[in-house]
Amino acid sequence: MVLLAPYAMAQSPPPFPAESYSGPNTAQGGQSSPEMWRDIRRGKSGTVVFPRPEGGVLIQSAGETWRLRHDTTVAYGGGLLLAVLGVAGSYLLVRGRIPIKGGRTGRVIPRFSLVQRIVHWFAAVLFVLLAVTGLLLLFGRYLLPPIIGQHAFALAASASIEAHNLFGPLFIPAVVALCVTFVRGNGYRGVDFTWLLKGGGFFGGHASSLKYNFGEKSWFWWSVVMGLVLSASGMALLLPSVIGDRSVVQLANLAHAIAALLFIAFAIGHIYLGTIGMEGALEGMTRGTVDENWAKEHHDLWWAEHKTSATADIRRAEVAAAERGDRAVWEAQR
Amino acid sequence: MTAMEFIEGPVWYAASAIFVLGIAWRIAAIFMIGRARDLSVSRRSPIVGAAKAVLLHSVPHGGNLGRTVYHFVTGYLFHIGLFALLLFAAPHVAFINAGIVALPWPAMPHWAFIIAAEAAFAGLILLYVRRLTDPVTRQLSDVDDHVGVWLTFVAMLTGCLALQEAHAGLRMLHMLSVEALMIYFPFSRLTHAFTFLLARVNTGAALGRRGFTP
Repeated sequence: MVLLAPYAMAQSPPPFPAESYSGPNTAQGGQSSPEMWRDIRRGKSGTVVFPRPEGGVLIQSAGETWRLRHDTTVAYGGGLLLAVLGVAGSYLLVRGRIPIKGGRTGRVIPRFSLVQRIVHWFAAVLFVLLAVTGLLLLFGRYLLPPIIGQHAFALAASASIEAHNLFGPLFIPAVVALCVTFVRGNGYRGVDFTWLLKGGGFFGGHASSLKYNFGEKSWFWWSVVMGLVLSASGMALLLPSVIGDRSVVQLANLAHAIAALLFIAFAIGHIYLGTIGMEGALEGMTRGTVDENWAKEHHDLWWAEHKTSATADIRRAEVAAAERGDRAVWEAQR
Repeated sequence: MTAMEFIEGPVWYAASAIFVLGIAWRIAAIFMIGRARDLSVSRRSPIVGAAKAVLLHSVPHGGNLGRTVYHFVTGYLFHIGLFALLLFAAPHVAFINAGIVALPWPAMPHWAFIIAAEAAFAGLILLYVRRLTDPVTRQLSDVDDHVGVWLTFVAMLTGCLALQEAHAGLRMLHMLSVEALMIYFPFSRLTHAFTFLLARVNTGAALGRRGFTP
């Protein structure tokens, strides 16, 4: 219970007829003090019996601003996700799945090592769990009660917050491992901007690329930055008592929601292209190898470096990929 | 009888009976198979061989640290986390104390629960991702491996989802998933929880008698 000594209110005001009431019946003698309430509204701190951070603040007005910004974030964020889904769906309808134009050769090239794939899927599993529970917490209260009812939504929200808080801290080492494991080859080069100017070949023509193209590199750096913002803001939300200052926690809440929405929006594109959007892409991350024609069509400069390691012995290539990824070629070149 | 009473009553007792009898049957079957009498002259103590096998297989050994360290770290993360949750989580201690046997230990605090859960989930996900992505373990895995992992994951997940203990529906979901796991347990490789020591002792004693430490 907050006790504001200068503004202490009477515990039990005496009864009075409503028509004779002219202001709050307080220790100030029944007079309302605009100055006092203005100070309180501005967050002026009083004195409390048990001191603690912000314990003397009666009204934290920044909460209203935070609520407004939070609602705005929800509205724009929802629009962003719908727009990205719409673009991906429209592209699929118009262009269909991007095939391997030259067909499969039956020869594969090692692309991702076992360590890279384990780190990727560990982060991916956590990302999906966190995204689903996070979206439910962010949008659920607006969308779900009319469909599943208040009780079922309360149950889903309770489950989601527990899962989100549990899996969240695991995402921090996953992001760090992702950064360390994939940073090599993800620095921007001149060829990446040529790729960008050609629209990545998505609208016709061919755009040359190294192991990672401009989009993949941007996704990598986007994941690292958003992952770090989510990690820092998430820990602030998980341990608010450690932070102490409520305005920092409110800022962390907004940063967490915005970073998550931006992360998920990009991830939709990544997941789309990695699965239904492009033939031959997913196996690079499941089996560690890609078809030679896929490599030639999407990463021709990387293929030129690695074409000598192409083999029709798929199982042997998978084992080689698991042990070394495509490092063997780089090391031989050095 | 409500759905909750049904799940915590008849279904729970049936699952427990299948679990206990199934495990007892699996262990009895191992002893009933027996093994052929070894007529060779004993070169070393089979007891020492058994002890060595049990101890050495619990730590990386034999010069293959690089290949085994991942499984040791993730395996210990998962198993220690899981057993800490199973035996020391406050809701489990209350459940066991109320209906099965009075445990001589107190429940662990909430922060310890969170650490144990993080370790168990990290270990399980990392082990399963390795199983799916490593070309060798993928070939070695069959339906039983996948079902065992998923049932364990769902039981752990529903338990954590119900942590607030504010919704009977979440508790019901957890009880159901645990009962499904208990029913499946004796018929699967999950039985290794009760038989791995027998296997190590048996192999270690047989090879130790011949003067070899596996």
